[in-house]
Amino acid sequence: MSPFWRKKKQQVCVIGLDGVPYTLVKRFTEDGTMPALAEIVRAGHLSKMCVTLPEISAVSWPSFMTGKNPGWHSIFGFTDLKPNSYSLRFPSFGDLRAPTIWDKIGERRKRSVVINQPSTYPARPIEGVLISGFVAISLCKAVHPPSILPKLEQDGYIIDIDTTRAKDHAYLTGELVKTLDSRERITNYFWENEDWDFFEVVVTGTDRLHHYLWDALDNETHPYHKMFLDYYRRVDAFVGRMYSRFRKLTDTADPTPGFFILSDHGFTGVRQEFYLNNWLKKEGFLKLQTPDADSIEAIAEGTRAFALDPSRIYLNMVGKHPKGSVKPEDVRPILTDIKAGLSELSLDGERIMQHVFERDAVYDGPFASQGPDLVAVSNYGFDIKGSLKQPKLFGRSVLTGMHTWDDAFLWSAHKPPENLNITDVAGMIMQHME
Amino acid sequence: MKGFTIWFTGLSGSGKSTLSRKIEEILLERGLKVEVLDGDVIRTNLSKGLGFSKEDRDINIRRIGFVCHLLTRNDVVAIAAAISPYRAIRDENRKLIGSFVEIYCRCPIDALKKRDPKGLYEKALRGEIKGFTGVDDPYEEPLDAEIVVETDKETVDQSLNKIVKTLEILGHIPPSGKQEYSDEEEEKIKERLRSLGYI
Repeated sequence: MSPFWRKKKQQVCVIGLDGVPYTLVKRFTEDGTMPALAEIVRAGHLSKMCVTLPEISAVSWPSFMTGKNPGWHSIFGFTDLKPNSYSLRFPSFGDLRAPTIWDKIGERRKRSVVINQPSTYPARPIEGVLISGFVAISLCKAVHPPSILPKLEQDGYIIDIDTTRAKDHAYLTGELVKTLDSRERITNYFWENEDWDFFEVVVTGTDRLHHYLWDALDNETHPYHKMFLDYYRRVDAFVGRMYSRFRKLTDTADPTPGFFILSDHGFTGVRQEFYLNNWLKKEGFLKLQTPDADSIEAIAEGTRAFALDPSRIYLNMVGKHPKGSVKPEDVRPILTDIKAGLSELSLDGERIMQHVFERDAVYDGPFASQGPDLVAVSNYGFDIKGSLKQPKLFGRSVLTGMHTWDDAFLWSAHKPPENLNITDVAGMIMQHME
Repeated sequence: MKGFTIWFTGLSGSGKSTLSRKIEEILLERGLKVEVLDGDVIRTNLSKGLGFSKEDRDINIRRIGFVCHLLTRNDVVAIAAAISPYRAIRDENRKLIGSFVEIYCRCPIDALKKRDPKGLYEKALRGEIKGFTGVDDPYEEPLDAEIVVETDKETVDQSLNKIVKTLEILGHIPPSGKQEYSDEEEEKIKERLRSLGYI
């Protein structure tokens, strides 16, 4: 029998909606597409939020889970360079260099259930349950503790849709629904069967939908317009159910402190993709061994700068890179030239870049020096890519949506700090749990 | 490779000496020149005669820091393992040495009391040792250590992996060549990233 004087748990529930913009939440909660979320929004604070750079899940979610910028957690992208090489490596959860919110909660002997959290693969032990999300490959390496694997397998748990087949929109839309259903079943199971203080589930289907079908959002004649809205209605119903059960569990009235909803970046439509390495090549900063080389692995002597996806520019420093040619005294003029060149760049009279930040402006902490020398942020519609496989500076692909850095959102019961950044959310959660 | 200093700090019994010796072995295997300056050993020679007042503790840590500075500038990896309870002196050494990696061996006092390999906590708690860090003398935790190892929760191997990986990321030591992902997994990750336009 539990003692009646036990202090009430300060439980927290976090819903992550990957890639959902603040502006879209506003729109869908005002036009009736998301009625459950509209109720929640009315009861608390819906805030526009900036994220750390570059504005991709690989970086944003670690910034959320550690409450730190990449200079502290050391994840600067889906890719990084192998030491002393121009070959790509793919940072994993093991590369994260700052403690996560679940580590901190666990230190207080509090338990977390974390479902489909991107950037946590391969899963490692936490106090509670962790099911890794993107880029998780094998389910058996994506779970902690291993004892939960049979339950997930038996339930047919789907980590993510097979994005390599997402060009087939019929496949994409069918899988998105199946994956969301599978996610909710497992969410229900752990909600009921685990003792937890912190519960988090991330919906990643929204991001996949946006990448491939953002053009269906505003085009009522698009064959998948209705499906786009229908998927959001499903997400809305899921969020509504989570909110109701959390209120019931914690016996709280609106606005339900302890409940948080956030996205890791915003989204907008692609007008043109802009190929940053092609630009560096054209301007003479990047030199390749052959004219048709399509990878920075073919960097030639004399290269002063190169880019890693999506928008990270690294100076090719002597002593840091194998074919480094930039000496410390050359850094300032090169940075100035690249910033000036990118800032002036336009297409059909429209500027491509919104900002080109120097490292110190966006990163601090012990790993800041491992980050890019410059990070570019484009104006909406111009999607920056590092690819050298495209022949020109601008082009299009099958992808119709692109990420934005200043249009993510947070919903919280209490008013968040001014100039909200995704790195603030962990502190708000910890404060609630104290 | 260029020299740098690894500075282990933490309460007595928190694992500084154990980890410093293991890290020494790993770095020697990777062909680096390494020297360990263990607080207990230093007090028997370089700092012989110093006591445990704040002033004497500061002198001791400054001396270790100065030797680390000399070793580092001569391309040796200096590994210091000392309680070094005061943040200001550790930061002073960081400033002097420049290439400095602080590792905080964090372990709650309750776990240390149970561990107590030298029986020191028991004596300190009985009042037989005065001025014992963590019992009746302060320890100022690092605010921004490059690495925090939780020696009551992690195995020695887990802590070592954390340290080695961070030294690799910081570019202080050459990579081991070990991969987190198999080739097959890496290929699948590439495909997925490509399909979403991330590479």
